[in-house]
Amino acid sequence: MGSRYLTRRILQAVLTIVGIVLLNFVLFRMMPGSPERISHNPHASVAARAALRERWGLDKPLFPDQFIDYVTATVQGDFGESFKFKGKEVTTVIAGRVWPTLILFGLGELIAIVVGLILGAYSGWKRGGPVDYGGNGISLILYSMPYFLLGMILLVIFATTLGWFPTAGMFTLGQTYSSFADQVLDFTRHLILPLAAVSLGLIGQYSILMRSSVIETRGEDYVTTAKAKGISESRVLRGHAVPNALLPTVSLIGINLGFIIAGAITVEVVFSWPGLGTLTQEALEARDYPMLQAIFLILAITVVLANLGADIVYGRLDPRVRT
Amino acid sequence: MRQPLRRRMTRSFAALSLISVLMLPAAAPAAAADPVVLRVGTVQPLDAINAYLTEYFVGYEVFTLNYDLLVGYGKNAEPAPGFVQSWTQDGNTWTFKIRPDLKWSDGTPATAEDARWTIQSLLDGQAKNGVGSVGAGYLDLYLDYATVQSVTAPDLQTLVIKTKTPNTQILTSYIPILPKHIWEKREIGKDPNDAPVVGSGAYQVKEWKAGEYVRLVRNPYYWGPKGYEDEIYIQFFKSDAAMAEALKAGDIDYARNVTADQFQSLTGLPNVVTVESALSAEANAFTQINYNTYSKPIKGGGASTKALQDPAFRDALGYAIDKQTLVDKVLSGHGLVGSTIIPPAMAGGAWHLEPANRRTFDIELAKKKLNTAGYILVDGKRLDKEGQPINLRMVVPASSASYSASAEFITGWWKQLGIQMTTQSLDDGAVSALEKAPENDPPGKADFDVVIWNWAGDVDPNSLLAILATSAIGGNSDTFFSNPRYDQLMLLQASEPDPVKRKVLTDEMQQLAYDQAPYDVLFYDAALHAYRTDKFGGWQLQPEKVGLPLFGYGSPGYNTLTAPVPLATPAPSIQAPASTAPGASAAAAAPVPSGSASGGGSGASTGNSNSLLLLGGVALVIAAGVVIFAAMRRRRSAKDEE
Repeated sequence: MGSRYLTRRILQAVLTIVGIVLLNFVLFRMMPGSPERISHNPHASVAARAALRERWGLDKPLFPDQFIDYVTATVQGDFGESFKFKGKEVTTVIAGRVWPTLILFGLGELIAIVVGLILGAYSGWKRGGPVDYGGNGISLILYSMPYFLLGMILLVIFATTLGWFPTAGMFTLGQTYSSFADQVLDFTRHLILPLAAVSLGLIGQYSILMRSSVIETRGEDYVTTAKAKGISESRVLRGHAVPNALLPTVSLIGINLGFIIAGAITVEVVFSWPGLGTLTQEALEARDYPMLQAIFLILAITVVLANLGADIVYGRLDPRVRT
Repeated sequence: MRQPLRRRMTRSFAALSLISVLMLPAAAPAAAADPVVLRVGTVQPLDAINAYLTEYFVGYEVFTLNYDLLVGYGKNAEPAPGFVQSWTQDGNTWTFKIRPDLKWSDGTPATAEDARWTIQSLLDGQAKNGVGSVGAGYLDLYLDYATVQSVTAPDLQTLVIKTKTPNTQILTSYIPILPKHIWEKREIGKDPNDAPVVGSGAYQVKEWKAGEYVRLVRNPYYWGPKGYEDEIYIQFFKSDAAMAEALKAGDIDYARNVTADQFQSLTGLPNVVTVESALSAEANAFTQINYNTYSKPIKGGGASTKALQDPAFRDALGYAIDKQTLVDKVLSGHGLVGSTIIPPAMAGGAWHLEPANRRTFDIELAKKKLNTAGYILVDGKRLDKEGQPINLRMVVPASSASYSASAEFITGWWKQLGIQMTTQSLDDGAVSALEKAPENDPPGKADFDVVIWNWAGDVDPNSLLAILATSAIGGNSDTFFSNPRYDQLMLLQASEPDPVKRKVLTDEMQQLAYDQAPYDVLFYDAALHAYRTDKFGGWQLQPEKVGLPLFGYGSPGYNTLTAPVPLATPAPSIQAPASTAPGASAAAAAPVPSGSASGGGSGASTGNSNSLLLLGGVALVIAAGVVIFAAMRRRRSAKDEE
């Protein structure tokens, strides 16, 4: 791979991140409403609000004071104290929320990619077969169904009605574990339903794209040539059709991986999964500027990095884009 | 290319099979020596475990578990022993006695010096930065209401408080007493008070995971009655539907604030009791329509018509609001028709006034009143005194569907008067910003005509009454109402020691506010809670018979819980809407057990959302089956053709 291609991509990514840092400051302060007016409580006196604004640095002019404070702190990795969760550092709160989302959506993506691509490739190859009809039909239904509904259906059937799985959270609250394995088991029980919702929702996306991509390559000359050479069906599929059909899915995976951190807020909401998605929602409601800035920065950086990754993989798979 | 791909596929399959092994449902680990855990679900999260920083209802629940208030609350929300055991009043001097054996949860003795230090620190904070400036600025206000002047601790068991006027408001003050030995080095208004917390209350915060849960454990030194539970988890749900499911499944024991639909689907389930109360601390609030009465012109803002400044105009509009319909349709019957700005739930109904001349729903009368007041109808359009058609801009916060639903009804009724209304639903923060007046800091433009929103009260009427005072303009005022008599009464009632005489003054204020109608109070929403009886018994309502088990004044409900009590009959639903609220037409007598048909005359029900979802799931499976079957058939017929 050309090193100029790589340098250019990395440089672009860095510039994008710098742009995001600056935009981050302006964006949230442009929203109507301000943090100290959120609490619609008759007790809040004028003096209390003034004290609050002072503590949060909101009494200083937006530019340059607040802006300079923000940039200096961000560069140092200091996101400050949350407005909403009083007395909690933004970084502490986010650190606690990152891994639940990473596990849920990382695993969900993995399952969806594997199952979706296999299902898509097979149904595209055996176009018109039962797997194609069944798989494609189910994919379409799952793809078009909102996560919230899918999650609620799973919750009502498997948690409330059948009682196989717990309804909420990551662990059974108040449970004492006799061993680490017990704890992992409890975690797994809590993970299964949200994981199922995430991967079911994503499988459709991957399989539909893969299917059409495989159908396209099936008609290509090199596939016909391979078949004419007498190579077995399955080897033609795996050796010739699939690698070429993978190209568009790489872009999709790149985009989706960027959103692993953001998660599907609604899945987290349904299963009370303490991830970054729900944290974003809470921070938005409370106009928790420091929290929002930190989340969006992390989010933007992962999207940029995932896209950079996709660009690099794409460059490897398809030499044409490297120029 | 072929080899690596195959290898990758194999690896992926291996990962997949590993996951599927993990996915086998596992049996819950044995729970023999586990502590007894009470799990309480709420959609509102916790914002702070420093009592002086919290702004949320849940925060109050947590700090009243952590700390004793100077004076606590009993089962009818009456003043009861708290940090102090007894008290006497002699004019402006209060003498409190503290239990000789009182201890903090770390075993250190708790004395009058701790109480003196806490109150003195608040007074010092007020002297430095003004009243209402300590932390979130809510709790130190109580000392101001009670006109506290000085505090001393002549000995370890005696606390003496001197007030400027001989009032009784110190008894209803939310003043959590902090341990001096822990807080001496901290600033009350700023310290995060990280867990584990040391207090004198029944349960102490051991762990707080922001947005996830807060865990409290029993204080072994607590002086009061001991609840059955060793630990309390308050779990923060993101969706009320998920919380209701968790209660059904038994994953939580208590659900705070479920919706009317969920309330109905929970009522009558085995081991579940639903409680409706418009007379509990939780229901001490009103939903109002507020008019922009700002009298000076504002460049680029202000109300669209001067008519809103005219009490006669606002009064006439009040006759074109069918509040009973709002309660029935918007709240599904779970609430009381609104009237004055002090809810019937405040302090067990001690302060609420039913207005003498309640407005009735009568469109024709409203039209007549508008005509008399000089707002005539021309070509189907109601004109203001400047001759312009009245088109009102309604803004509602998006945080509750009840606001926009009410707006829809009211728009329909006012249309019949010839008044057009456009409604905009905005995020709460944005509505707040529109409601700011030029007097606010930062200044706003009072850019609205009418807003539907709510206010929550306190055990004392002061805070709700203060919103309509002239001094609130630039602060909390969202009507910019100003009335000299009201302001005068506001001062008089605050320094009136005799509750009976004070009630006469607050009654006059309520009546005045009702007649002048800067607010039209639409309804008092009932709180809908639910709890399970298979793990805990001894649930007691506060106030007795008409309130709620938890989330009341103080937190006595946690200390009465017992082991589950076997029930001979299915758990009834407790419905306690309106027994002490006069004038509420939907009033029922005291608690009415109401099997599965709850809902207080909610009319058409929306059905059981669960069975809908189940049906959805089944439909999905059938649909998939049909698709596969069709595909097979088509394939077979295609083969036959070949």
